[in-house]
Amino acid sequence: MLSYIGRSCQLAPALKGSTQAVANGLKNVIPASSQVRYAHTDVQVPDFGAYRRNDVQDPRAKSGDTAASRLAFTYMMVGGGTVSGIYAAKSIVTEFVSSMSASADVLALAKIEIKTDEIPEGKSVTFKWRGKPLFIRHRTEEEIAKEGAVDVGSLRDPQADAERCENPKWLVVIGVCTHLGCVPIADAGDYGGYYCPCHGSHYDTAGRIRKGPAPLNLEIPPYVFAEDGLLIVG
Amino acid sequence: MAGVIGKLYQNVFRRTSSFVLAAIFGAFMFERGFDMVSDGVFENINQGKLWKHIKHSYGQQEEGGDEEEE
Amino acid sequence: MATVGRVSRGATTFLKVSPSAVSLQSVANVSTLKNGLNGKKTFLGLLGVVGGGAAGLAFALNESVKASDLTLHTSNFPWSHNGYFSSLDHASIRRGYEVYKNVCAACHSMKYIAFRNLIGVSHTESEAKAEAEAIQVKDGPDEEGNMFERPGKLSDYFPNPYTNDEAARSANNGALPPDLSYITSARHGGENYIFSLLTGYCDPPAGVQVREGLYYNPYFPGGAIGMAQALYNEVMEYSDGTPATSSQMAKDVATFLKWASEPEHDQRKRMALKALMMFSLLFAITYYIKRHKWSVLKSRKIAYKPVK
Repeated sequence: MLSYIGRSCQLAPALKGSTQAVANGLKNVIPASSQVRYAHTDVQVPDFGAYRRNDVQDPRAKSGDTAASRLAFTYMMVGGGTVSGIYAAKSIVTEFVSSMSASADVLALAKIEIKTDEIPEGKSVTFKWRGKPLFIRHRTEEEIAKEGAVDVGSLRDPQADAERCENPKWLVVIGVCTHLGCVPIADAGDYGGYYCPCHGSHYDTAGRIRKGPAPLNLEIPPYVFAEDGLLIVG
Repeated sequence: MAGVIGKLYQNVFRRTSSFVLAAIFGAFMFERGFDMVSDGVFENINQGKLWKHIKHSYGQQEEGGDEEEE
Repeated sequence: MATVGRVSRGATTFLKVSPSAVSLQSVANVSTLKNGLNGKKTFLGLLGVVGGGAAGLAFALNESVKASDLTLHTSNFPWSHNGYFSSLDHASIRRGYEVYKNVCAACHSMKYIAFRNLIGVSHTESEAKAEAEAIQVKDGPDEEGNMFERPGKLSDYFPNPYTNDEAARSANNGALPPDLSYITSARHGGENYIFSLLTGYCDPPAGVQVREGLYYNPYFPGGAIGMAQALYNEVMEYSDGTPATSSQMAKDVATFLKWASEPEHDQRKRMALKALMMFSLLFAITYYIKRHKWSVLKSRKIAYKPVK
């Protein structure tokens, strides 16, 4: 806008002068005061060297010869800006998104370590894990043999014993009855595993539902056996 | 130099699609490089003070340790 | 740019006011303030600045001779983490933890610091686990509803030496030992204050009476502190063999407490370095692009020549 006004202003007298000159050319009545000069020899062109690139510093140099490299340089700068902009934006976004993940104190409680050698054979021990009871049972040989021999097809929630226990000696289940969420009692019920006192669900020593209203086997949390008898749940 | 840059312009920068692809690929490279350089500078400034510099002196059992410090 | 601005101002006026020639000079004269008014403004402004400065100086001089507080202000010590990009000294944090455990923990709690926080800062995971297992934590209730004691875990926080604040007060002549988790952020002077306080115990000057059960420390506001001097040379031994002088212990424990208050300290300075590097790069590129885009505008000359 600025330049438009400036330019039209500047040209206004010239345009007027030229129409007059054409219209009145034959009559030869051009007043001396409205003389029009088209060659602007009086306008000093400043030195724009500071704004020229090295390739075209010399006004006689052909700009076409170096156009590609000059363009490439500018695009390279723009590309560099884009690249670092992407990096900065990514860092900021990651920072904000990661603030939504679980905090360190929650994560610290998400895993528990259990020393398996403290649990005697044939006993079920209860731990607290993420606010829920966790049953860990050190099974005897005869319990392993008994559960292994069960016909999987006869079960309500068919799962083989080997599927439920990574290490046959150890059963790791969440102690929440799958019926209505009561905590079953260990070493009780018709199958020697767990018995839910609320509505009488019987689980065997592999935590499978055998009798009663519960629809599913006891849930198995993720766990790994670390070295020297350490069991890590979570 | 001008030749290489000219080639770069002809083959990469002229087309918007290839320019954008180059920028994204460059961002991956840049992230790695920049993190490596800046972490390197930081660790060089704080040579001997960070945990990674003194960690090795505390093995399984801490015993004496001959790291001398200030 | 100046040329363009003035020309356009002249041009718009020219268009609005009248189509005949209004000289640029006259427009400029109308639109600027009169010189006389300018001078008066300058004088008033100068008067304001000089008057305000003089009042401030008088106030400062007056304040400087007031004996308003008898607290000795701590000096700034040359901590190795003072620089803009200087991290904490982690060997010092580790020694500071030993000082805290052996000396401070007898009275002061650090209830916001867990043993897991030590991992990767001053201890390896197994060491931190061993530290945690050395304490007994009350947990429960168990199946029978009883509370029980168990060895600490990594997720446990540092133990509190007293069961509650009242017990802490009654054991310390009514003074409550503050929790040290955020102490360097909670005291003026931060780690400098901690160092000065721990090493600043001395006999009270003549005329200062210190009540029974209190101790004199010039760095403590009021001078009388409920905590006795805790750090003496060789009051404990460092596991890394550093001579346990009282100033060494004070320095280490102050560094440890600085870390406890600002566990993000190192990360913050690392980020600062990265951000500064990143922004200087972006600034350079932005400057180039700005020049590139403006070169067309900057290298244009628009002149207006009024018709005589």
